[in-house]
Amino acid sequence: MGMSSTAARALPVALATGEPATEPARPAADADLEAVEASRRGEREAFDRLVVRYQRDVYRLCFRYVNDHADANDLTQEAFLRAWRAIGGFRGQSRFSTWLYRIAVNACLNHRAARRPPALELPEALPDPAVPASEAVVDEERARRVRDAVSRLPEKQRATLILKVYHDLTHREVAEALGSTVGTVKANLFHALGNLRRLVAEGGE
Amino acid sequence: MSGHLSEERLADVLDGGGGPEAREHAATCRACGARLEAARAALALVLQTEVPEPPALYWEALRRNVGRRIDEEGRRRANRSRLLVFATAAAVVLGVSIGRAPEEPAPAPALPAWSALPPADEDSGLAGLSVLAAETDLAAWNAGRGLGAFVAELSEEESQTLVEALRTDPAGVEL
Repeated sequence: MGMSSTAARALPVALATGEPATEPARPAADADLEAVEASRRGEREAFDRLVVRYQRDVYRLCFRYVNDHADANDLTQEAFLRAWRAIGGFRGQSRFSTWLYRIAVNACLNHRAARRPPALELPEALPDPAVPASEAVVDEERARRVRDAVSRLPEKQRATLILKVYHDLTHREVAEALGSTVGTVKANLFHALGNLRRLVAEGGE
Repeated sequence: MSGHLSEERLADVLDGGGGPEAREHAATCRACGARLEAARAALALVLQTEVPEPPALYWEALRRNVGRRIDEEGRRRANRSRLLVFATAAAVVLGVSIGRAPEEPAPAPALPAWSALPPADEDSGLAGLSVLAAETDLAAWNAGRGLGAFVAELSEEESQTLVEALRTDPAGVEL
């Protein structure tokens, strides 16, 4: 699907417009805390609600990291399993989503699984009928090159780029998630963008 | 401002921050401006790139699989806990058994009052038999053919040894 119009998403305000970042409204936060508290008491249904709420975000994070559906699927399940095990230790000092992304990133960083046979690869989604076929092919080809390039970035740069750009975490939240400093996160982000541009250019030659 | 902007400062400017001085520098310095523009172009590429959307049914399957794995893990933990309790109990029982003082050997059964035989520790005949056993091939005895066959097959010399042994106590005192 790639860059089709159906794939449009809300861009991080500051990065998209150049305006200073403001704290976005977080209506899900209260519901998260309620579900987290219930999960800590062992209520599986409550954790199930958290899975439903965040499975897309976690899957996309993992997919961007490994650029493979089967591995992203495994890593998403692993991330939620780890979250369930560790939820008793979640003290609410950060957003639940930030805590969960940190777990998912750690699962990705530890990822050493062998790639699945091609038969298990996710089939490409059907093209958007609103987009002319030729444009869709070009868009998809470019999107594939970008995804490949992201997956080839050094691990910390990759994690920084994914969390900051796609999941809209602040520099500080990314630093917390990666056990790093704000300065390192900023530098990693800038290096990641520079490397990405080169990798995409190489991939298009 | 002296020199160029660091990656940290450039990232701040890219993020809409960095302060007026850094933004002004980026706007006037050709090198920093070029790096910033390159980063913006890469960012635009990244933001336009989505992950392929799995089929709609995938999400329900994912949710179920996560639930199944959590349940399986819960069962495994419960089994491990039961096993741990059992192992602990077994270890306690074993420890108690090993730690107990060795019991006194059971006393030899007392001979009935009417027995014509002397007590074992006073029976010089038993000592004589042990001397005989040391000097005699007991293969025939061990073959299970009985005392009669064993004695019948003794040679003259062996018979004499047996008689002398039965008459002599372990200390060699003739009875």
